[in-house]
Amino acid sequence: MALPHPARPDLAWVQRVGIPRGLLYWRYGELWQAFFRSLGREVVLSPETDKAIVEEGSARSIDECCLASKAYMGHVAALVGRCDAVFVPSYASCHPHAGFCTKFQGLPDLVRNTFRDEELAVMSLLVGNIRDKKGTERSVAELGMRLGASAKEAKAAYATGLHAQRAADKRRATAQAAALQDLARRRAAAQASGEAAPLGILLVAHPYISHDSYLCGTLAEALERMGVTLLLADETDHGRAYKRSFDFSRTLPWAANRELIGSILMLRDQVDGIVLVSAFPCGPDSMTDDAIMRYVEGLPMLNLTIDAQSGTAGVETRLESFVDILRYQKLGGYVG
Amino acid sequence: MADIPTGAPGPRAPGQLPRQSTDSTMAHPLGALERASVVVKPATGRRPSLWEKRRRRRRDKHHSAKKCAFFRYCYYDPAFKYFIEQVLGAEYVALPASTKQTTELGAQHSSDYVCTPFKHILGDYIEALDAGAEVLVQFGGPCRLGYYGELQERILRDMGYDFEMLNFSVDIEKGAIGWAKQCMKVVNPNVKVGAGLLKLASCANMVVKLDAARDFYLANAGFERERGSFARVWESYLEALRAATADRDVNSAYREAMDAFRALPVDKPADPIRIGVVGEMFTAIDERSNLELDAKLLAMGVEVHRMMNLTNRWIRYNEPNLRVGAKDYVGYDMGPTSTLTIAAAVRYGREGLDGLVHAKSAGCTPEIDCAAVLQRVAQDFEVPCLYLTFDAQTSDTGLDTRLEAFYDMLAMKKERMRP
Repeated sequence: MALPHPARPDLAWVQRVGIPRGLLYWRYGELWQAFFRSLGREVVLSPETDKAIVEEGSARSIDECCLASKAYMGHVAALVGRCDAVFVPSYASCHPHAGFCTKFQGLPDLVRNTFRDEELAVMSLLVGNIRDKKGTERSVAELGMRLGASAKEAKAAYATGLHAQRAADKRRATAQAAALQDLARRRAAAQASGEAAPLGILLVAHPYISHDSYLCGTLAEALERMGVTLLLADETDHGRAYKRSFDFSRTLPWAANRELIGSILMLRDQVDGIVLVSAFPCGPDSMTDDAIMRYVEGLPMLNLTIDAQSGTAGVETRLESFVDILRYQKLGGYVG
Repeated sequence: MADIPTGAPGPRAPGQLPRQSTDSTMAHPLGALERASVVVKPATGRRPSLWEKRRRRRRDKHHSAKKCAFFRYCYYDPAFKYFIEQVLGAEYVALPASTKQTTELGAQHSSDYVCTPFKHILGDYIEALDAGAEVLVQFGGPCRLGYYGELQERILRDMGYDFEMLNFSVDIEKGAIGWAKQCMKVVNPNVKVGAGLLKLASCANMVVKLDAARDFYLANAGFERERGSFARVWESYLEALRAATADRDVNSAYREAMDAFRALPVDKPADPIRIGVVGEMFTAIDERSNLELDAKLLAMGVEVHRMMNLTNRWIRYNEPNLRVGAKDYVGYDMGPTSTLTIAAAVRYGREGLDGLVHAKSAGCTPEIDCAAVLQRVAQDFEVPCLYLTFDAQTSDTGLDTRLEAFYDMLAMKKERMRP
């Protein structure tokens, strides 16, 4: 599977591009969709995650893979036969502080080898360093040229995609800021009237967990049912959060975890508690969650690990008790 | 001792009368009755004093008294010692062999599902600090290894230890210059830079020589006529390298060890069972982590091949070219050691080895992904592959059973395929 010469339009036949709704789709999905659409391709998304997808993915993965990657394999399986080629990018860690879990680096080859018998066409590109804007543009444009576009068209398509992604990110960040303002206003009102203050909880999880309705949906619903304002750490402005994370760690190698930690540092004064959610067994989270639990002080924290078991009662009980503790503390129940 | 006169027959205690003057008195014709009033002593260049001025020992101004410790890693401790003592000019804290308690200590203070080398290394650090180390050395890498140093430093500080960390993950973006500056800042500000660089090259040479000898050992030790003869030579080789202070010591130790290895009698069949060990950098090599996988395989009479070592991963590593050998399976670099794992497996398959053993630590994401590729390699070359995952547990009974069953299966297959 040597990579062909970039300028050769060897993928021009691909009309329907399949994008699995998992992992980095939740971080760069808008970019990819807009990019392919502006090159005149049809984008086929895999359905929302459900139990069947996770089971299918688990059957196709090595046992020790993390839940999110198993779900991803399920999404790819759901696209087999529904598109001409599946788009699986490789995001590598050439930048020492803005890298990715090696899962994202090896994903195209993992998919190719897992679905070798299906003869699934896998379309890919390599983003070595996401902080290198020119390099990223070059490799995305290369893929556009392989799809048959001219260099200019490919660059324009990337610009469209980038614009769509930035707009979506900004929309989320603005919504979060509005929710925080609303929370602060309600807190002030509650203090004035002597009622119980509303609770704000920051959910710290990778976007492919926190936005996935199956993996994290019940958890979010349960919290909202308890009347908690839920804020997602991955929606905070990425650039500012990334910069802020250097207050916490000099050597943390993962961009996604940096954004989450930066968000915690930025919002810790405005929320009442933090819920850390990670998919079992997440490599980066195994270390960063440990570091967060040790060194972010003064905020109650709940560390939840979700696995392929679909029972939600245990998680709900733990969330309820956590919220009860927060409420009790607000009433002055605990000292300190 | 420049103050001893050349005429004197041997060393002399300070203050003792020169023998010559006594001789001249005795030789006087009037004997002791008439004491000579004029004695002319030959000039020896000595100070006119009964006290010998104690010569000041010159301190090596390039030496640092800081005690540095590495974690335990395979058979590379001579190279680590050389790096600290010869390159950085500091003191090296040698650790005794690890025990069950080491791993337990490490696991106790680590997060549950962090990868296993983290736990082993943390246990090593605790023991090193107890043994008096002041500086701990940690590497950086493109996977979780890159974050080991910082988290371990914090955990150890929380436990109450006071030390400095030479963490090569810090300032990794500045490259070699950043590392050199950090070495000078943390360990030895007076290091001789030029000499240090030459020594660094010979440190790399030591790693290459270690790996070369180990490759020979793995290929032949399984067939030794006298049990333990290879291990003895290997131990004395490591001892010789630990005492090495210059490049020529390294080379002569290697020559002697290889001569000794070649002189050992072996009963090697023409077509022995050959097993290729692939896997992640720590667990595939480190005997404490993989519960002495090497020794277990060799004891069954197997020729062992293992491409993964520091030489092939760091000193001679050229990832894009290595990937060409595995281009039927991978298009991208899949992680820090993935290309080497897959390229090695493909090579072993092509060369017709009888079996593969894939060794990784629990939770090693890149190697988990490799396993999916290795399944295809094993399928295509019809070479059986045993997948081993090692965590911090220390019982090896299960491993013995699996290895024996694997060996029996390979032996039966080989017997059946024999023309």
